[in-house]
Amino acid sequence: MNLLVFTKRVPATQEEELRIVDDGKAVDLSKVPFKVNDWDNYAVEEAVQIAEKTGGTVTAISIGDKESDEVLRRAIAMGAKDGFLIEKEEILHDPGVRAALVNNFLKKEGIAYDAIFTGVQSEDDQFAAVGGILAAKLGIPYASMVIGIDAVEKDHLIARRELEGGLQERVKITSPCVLAIQSGINEPRYVSIMGIRKASKVERKTYKGADYSENANNSIEVVRWVYPPKKGAATMLTGELDEVCKQLLGVLKEKGVYQ
Amino acid sequence: MSYALIIAEVRRGVFEERNLDTLGICALLGKETVLLMPDKPYTFNENMYDTIIKAKTEEEVFLNPLNIAGIIEQVISARGKPDFIILTHSSSGSESAVYMAGLFSLPVVTDVSGYDKERNIFFKSYYSDKIFGEFKSSQEGTCILTVRSGSFKEFVGEKASAPKVEFIENVSVSEARTFVEYVEEEKTDIDITKAEFLLSVGRGIGNKDEIPDYEALAGLLKAVLSGSRPVIDKLWLPKARQVGTSGKTVKPKVYLAMGISGAFQHIAGMKDSDCIIAVNKDAEAPIFQYAHFGIVADIHKVRDKLKNILAG
Ligand SMILES: Cc1cc2nc3c(=O)[nH]c(=O)nc-3n(C[C@H](O)[C@H](O)[C@H](O)COP(=O)(O)OP(=O)(O)OC[C@H]3O[C@@H](n4cnc5c(N)ncnc54)[C@H](O)[C@@H]3O)c2cc1C
Repeated sequence: MNLLVFTKRVPATQEEELRIVDDGKAVDLSKVPFKVNDWDNYAVEEAVQIAEKTGGTVTAISIGDKESDEVLRRAIAMGAKDGFLIEKEEILHDPGVRAALVNNFLKKEGIAYDAIFTGVQSEDDQFAAVGGILAAKLGIPYASMVIGIDAVEKDHLIARRELEGGLQERVKITSPCVLAIQSGINEPRYVSIMGIRKASKVERKTYKGADYSENANNSIEVVRWVYPPKKGAATMLTGELDEVCKQLLGVLKEKGVYQ
Repeated sequence: MSYALIIAEVRRGVFEERNLDTLGICALLGKETVLLMPDKPYTFNENMYDTIIKAKTEEEVFLNPLNIAGIIEQVISARGKPDFIILTHSSSGSESAVYMAGLFSLPVVTDVSGYDKERNIFFKSYYSDKIFGEFKSSQEGTCILTVRSGSFKEFVGEKASAPKVEFIENVSVSEARTFVEYVEEEKTDIDITKAEFLLSVGRGIGNKDEIPDYEALAGLLKAVLSGSRPVIDKLWLPKARQVGTSGKTVKPKVYLAMGISGAFQHIAGMKDSDCIIAVNKDAEAPIFQYAHFGIVADIHKVRDKLKNILAG
């Protein structure tokens, strides 16, 4: 089975203080470290495992600026055969535009595949949309929140989808298809610096995003960026560490969970 | 006719409570509300909708993006295009929403958690919930939305009269994707939903080797140890201990969260706890918006200090 897997370079914002600049027109990410989207890491691993089992290949695809080559090299280090970068300087906030670019790219370049994997969502925009839009445009079936692939047959796959509260559903889906891979589906392999260095020697092709822009027009737009609304603020326990911990134990006593 | 089409979220005979949020945003939008659901017996207050369209098909057929698209085409050919198609931001809701967006070439905004009526703008979280984007559709016509659970339910109300009920008789079923079966979570002896006091750890603990020390702290505090999704994904703790939309919903007397940022999928699983205490080194972590008490500090230091005090 030959697989395409999308991988995205995202800002690691979990521990960063973010500033909105330009009168709400932009978010300053210049000091934020970037990394591979966590969900894509699971998607790449799953694709590589399936290719290893069924004797196919994995091609990693990224949309982004030149720096995104980094996540392609990472995917190759994990076992992808090669990587394609669809180069776009600006951040694309409309998942419809990303999907249209890929749709045009796959058709124009005549790229063959048995399945396309994406991560469930990207950490930065949390849209969880590109895979589904793309599947519909390609006219192939789609399943999201895939937490297990139980069988890979000639013309179909058996996938387990995660629902709410621990429940899952098993679905049969014909190939080619698009699957959005959920975190926890596997244990992504460790990628060493050496591995990435070796991967640098494998050719990655770069394509100009502008060449695949037909019908890739924004259907939604960001008017401006704002900070989240402040809800009921927490009572902050402050002081020396010892002091803070004693206050914390005081709260636990007051709530009756600790004597 | 200006209307909003709400796609019901149903699962194994239950009309999910999250449907109040899709209805709530409709109330804010001021549109006629048309609910689309499978024609099966569900218990809910029908009088909150103007029209209910029941599709004569199985629930699992309805919950499949390839089939729901065809059902909606029938609704549109009968009633014209809706201004909005609204779904919950759940596993199946978001799946169907984005597939339809691709199929019908419609704009989609997912995980909407706020609406500004005057400016006609939808709020959607970005960057670990630290920033929100104000979104609008840049074209005329139907826009697809998925809404975050808990965001709009306060706006629902009953209608003056009972809903009109219509039926869709023939639903075509896709062969390209079919339902096989439900898979239940394995039963385990630990039930975090029963605990009065949860010590919950997140990705902030850094690695698996830290777990025994948090277990020890939980032991000293007589708390039960639970975790956020990444901790379970990485197999640092078993699945039965996961708090959140895809894990357990918990309501302990005290929820002590250490190294958890406060993503909405986590918050949804613990926000109704009597008392939430959050420890995080990032003063801007969204979890402080939901906590009753907060400590900005290194969790390992807090853990070690607590252990010292408790042991001494
Ligand atoms: C469909 C779907 C379902 C999901 N279901 C769930 C679910 O059921 N439950 C769930 O939890 N998530 C769920 N998620 C994932 C969710 O979106 C978040 O990714 C996740 O909750 C983040 O977990 P976290 O807070 O532990 O990690 P992060 O967001 O990475 O946060 C780590 C935090 O630790 C802090 N930190 C780091 N080091 C230290 C230190 N030394 N001292 C103090 N603080 C420190 C950081 O400041 C940061 O705030 C789901 C996602 C999707 C798409």
